[in-house]
Formats: sequence, structure tokens, C-alpha cells
Amino acid sequence: MRKTMTSRERIGRILRRQPVDRIGVFEHFWGDTIKLWTDQGHIREGESLEDHFGFDFMMHWPFNMVAQLDFEPVVVEETEETVLTRDGNGALLRRHKLHDATPEHVDFLVKDRAGWEEHVKPFLAPDRRRIDFQGYRDRKRLAAENNRFFCWAGVNVFELMHPVCGHEYMLMGMAMDPDWVKDMVNTLCGLTLDLMDILFAEEGPPDGIWFYEDMGLKGRPFMSPAMYREIIQPAHARTVDYAHARGMPVVMHSCGYVAPLVPGMVEAGIDALQVIEVKAGMDLVQLFRDFGDRLSFIGGIDVRTLYSNDRAVIDAELEKKIPVVKGRYGYVLHSDHSIPDQVRYESYRYFVDRGIALGHYMGPND
Amino acid sequence: MSELLAQLAVCIERGKVNKASPYPPDLRGQDGAEELTKQALDSGVAPSDILEQGLIIGMGTIGHKFSRNEVFVPDLLMAAKAMSSAMVQLKPFFESGQARHKGTIVIGTVKGDLHDIGKKLVAMVLEGGGWNVIDLNVDVAPEKFVETLKQHPGAALGMSALLTTTMVNMEETVKRVRQEAPSTKIIIGGAPVTDEFRAKIGADAYSPDPQGALDWLNAQVA
Repeated sequence: MRKTMTSRERIGRILRRQPVDRIGVFEHFWGDTIKLWTDQGHIREGESLEDHFGFDFMMHWPFNMVAQLDFEPVVVEETEETVLTRDGNGALLRRHKLHDATPEHVDFLVKDRAGWEEHVKPFLAPDRRRIDFQGYRDRKRLAAENNRFFCWAGVNVFELMHPVCGHEYMLMGMAMDPDWVKDMVNTLCGLTLDLMDILFAEEGPPDGIWFYEDMGLKGRPFMSPAMYREIIQPAHARTVDYAHARGMPVVMHSCGYVAPLVPGMVEAGIDALQVIEVKAGMDLVQLFRDFGDRLSFIGGIDVRTLYSNDRAVIDAELEKKIPVVKGRYGYVLHSDHSIPDQVRYESYRYFVDRGIALGHYMGPND
Repeated sequence: MSELLAQLAVCIERGKVNKASPYPPDLRGQDGAEELTKQALDSGVAPSDILEQGLIIGMGTIGHKFSRNEVFVPDLLMAAKAMSSAMVQLKPFFESGQARHKGTIVIGTVKGDLHDIGKKLVAMVLEGGGWNVIDLNVDVAPEKFVETLKQHPGAALGMSALLTTTMVNMEETVKRVRQEAPSTKIIIGGAPVTDEFRAKIGADAYSPDPQGALDWLNAQVA
């Protein structure tokens, strides 16, 4: 039996598809779920989820990428359930006050190249105030004390652009004025790397980089593979190269159906793909067969099986996938999105325990 | 004349809004949907023919390509933009009754959910398919759907949800609509939604993509 590894050792090897003791485990939750489980007494107020569930990753999101740092968000309209604000990007966004949700894109000052050059681009300087040094330092230390794999977390260019101009203007811009969108990509990528330089020089690098980059809808990516390669991939390659030059593997998250973009992401050099959203059409086992020699995977377990709260259904999902995808040592157990509050605590606990049990390796050659 | 309408259909499909538009690059400098619609009207083509033999054909072509993942969201957005530039000119004919929509559909993202891009894409394709779309936007309460359906007798209802946590709100709306506007045809969609869920809540149809929704609606009035 292989000796038990620390989380840091395990994930470091999983992201490089090297032999490990077992698959990794990590998860994202909707805030409502944690609140409910805390109210029910399963989790103590303020308790670390990493400790509670034995997660292998810890992360911290240290950058503030809003254009105008000094701009105080203005509340334009507020109801019992939602609040509409104008933010430092000049974006008018409506947020739900009662639960977690992506904000509604109501309007943007940036609709084209002129708006970008007037309202956002001049403000995107590598200001130290953009960096949460203390938070990064604290989480990094905590991860080290607990031997967890510590990731810098943040968004890459696709997710940095739509808060500035919204999906519609960004996607129409890709068609009508690709040079404008390329300028946004290049500027935002450069700022991210400048800020990483500052942070990592002062506080030390993390163990890995985790980019959130939602590029898919149900059944389709937002853009064609050709558009991805022309406009977005150069920034992905540049940021991945930056990380690799410093010994850090890169996890790329995307919700939605992004299978047609995976070859381009592999070309850009990513080490792992997360979250592999089944209900959007992603197929973990097929991706493993197609790319498992070059890519590790985090997620891809249909969250709908968890909120069935039926152990037989959860078993069937895990037994169908884990024995296959653990095959190259490159897998971390995670749902295919986030855990909603329909999932009972006991069901989630069972999912983790059963998944890990299936994900153990018996020896060096199994 | 059929050549002009065929050209118009191509402009819609390719997202060629007007002569000044640089997109698509291979049609730069050529007339777009705006100019061709004007030319057709000036030549005496019936607005209903412009709609059915030009605009709907073009949007139908791109909608089917979108369903097959042969084109992507930017292409669909540009097609919708071209369609809008033509529809602006047809608006007076709709108001006077010289042109008619195939029907009316009330759509919105359900209560608690602020996602709108998927629902907007559906709205664009339905409008492009000749339907009058009343878009209630996002975070729409069941009573708002019901109230709007009562104001538009005979309208269909389309609901979207992106989250597993909000799709359950579709069920309440379906119940209310069945009580207060029982003849309403209801179609649902969104990332977590499946045909199994549709059957469970008693909606009439589920579509995984915009063109599927249009094809189903068209079948209801065929």
C-alpha cells in the first residue's frame, strides 16, 4: 500500500499525473448551502470547510480588477430582494440580496472600443491597492501549516472582460471589431501578470494557479474554437507560460459546454480542467479518454445525483466514473458545479466518503 | 424580386446590418438588411412577404446552424442585430395590421434568477421567426407571468432558469398558469432543465436550444 500523502504532495502530483495514494477531493458550495448546514448544526459557525471535509486545496482570490478603484459603487435602485448598482467599471448590475447568483447585466458604459478607451483602459494600472496582501499571506500560511495545496485564484481574460462590457457587447465585438477585444485581452492579461509579479515577489508564489473562466452555455461554447484560438488563447498561453516558468501548474475552470474549446486550452498548456458540467453536456469519461494523457480533471460528477439524496443513485454515478478517470492519477473528486441546498449534508458526506473509497490506489502498478 | 428577398435572407443569416457595417468582412461595402428591406418596400413587396420570404428564412438558417454548433453566439447576435434593423422598418406595417406575427409568447427568467443571456438568445430567435415576444426580463414572479398572460389572451409562455436552485420556481408558475390561464402552452429551458423535469412540473415542452423552441411554437400554430 502506498503511504498516505499530504494534500500538497497529492495535488502537486495529480496535476502532473504522477502516482498518488488516492484521488484528490475539493468542492464549491452555494452560500445558502453552508448557511443551511450550519443552521442545522452540521458545521460550526466559521469552521474551515477544508478541515471539515478534508479538502486538498486551499485558495485565495487576492486581486481587485475593477477599473476605477476609488469609485464608490452607486445604488441606483433597491428593492426588498435586489439592488441595482453602478460600479467602478461603469457597469450597471443588478444583484440578488437574498442568495448567491451571477448579477444581471443591465447596462455598460463600455459598448465599443471608444468606451473602453475612455472609461476603463486608462485606469488599469498595477496599483498595489488592487492586491490583498494580508489575505493571501494568511491563507498561504494556513495552507502550509496544514500541508494543503495552495492556489492563487482569480479570473482570466474572458471573465475579466464581461464585467466591463457585458457578454453581448464582448461577443459582438469579437465579430465586428476583434482588434478592440484583443486590446482588452492583452491589457487585462498584462495587468494580471504585473500584479502577480508584485504579489509573488513579496509574499512568495503559491503552489498553483486556478483561473475561473466561464466560456460555455448549455450545449455550446460562447465562441467558436477558431475565435477562441484567435482572440482568447494567446492570453491563456501567456498566463500559463508565466505560471509554468515559476513551477506552478494551472487549473482552468469553465462552466457550460466547452468541449470544442478543450483542444485549444490544451494547446495553451493548462494542466487541469474543472468543473466539467454534466447538465451542460460535458462528459468526464469521454474527456478522459480523449485528453487524459495531457490533462487532469477536477469535477464532472453530476450534481443532480447528489440532490436526489439517494445513495444508490450517488453510488451509480461514482462507480461509473471514478474507476475510469482515476486511471492516470489525474483526478480530483468534485461535483460538476456547486453544491446547492437541496443536497442534504448526509448525502454530501456520503459522496465524499464513497468517492474517496473508490479513488484509492492499491499499489504502484494498479 | 425573389432574388432581393434571397439576398435579404443572406444578410440576416450573415449578420450584415447595413452598408456601413464592417461585418462580415467579405460583405464590406455591400448593402445590408437595412438597405435591402427599404428597397423591397419601395419596390412594393408586401411586408408579410419580406418577413416570411426574407427575414424568417435568414434567421431560420442561422438558428438551425446554431443548433448544430456550426455557428456560435457572436454569429447569432449579429444576425439578430441585422434582423432588428429590418424589423424597425416593418414596425408600422405590424401596427397597421398589414403584417402579422405568427403569435405572441411571453418569456422571462424565473423568480430568484438574474441570468439573461440564454433567455435573450431565445427571444432573438423567436422574434426572428416571426413571433411577437413580450420579454419580462429576469427574476419574474409567477403572478407577473400570469398577469401578462391575461393581458395577452392566447399567448404562449416561455420560462428559463440557469440554476438548480431556481428552476424549482418554474413549478409554482406552471401551477398558477394552469389555474388562471389554463389554455396557455408552456415551454421551458435552461441549463439544469430536462424533459424529465418538464414532465414532472407539467409544462408542455422543453427545448435545449432556441431553434427547438421556435420549431415547437411554429408547430402549435401550423
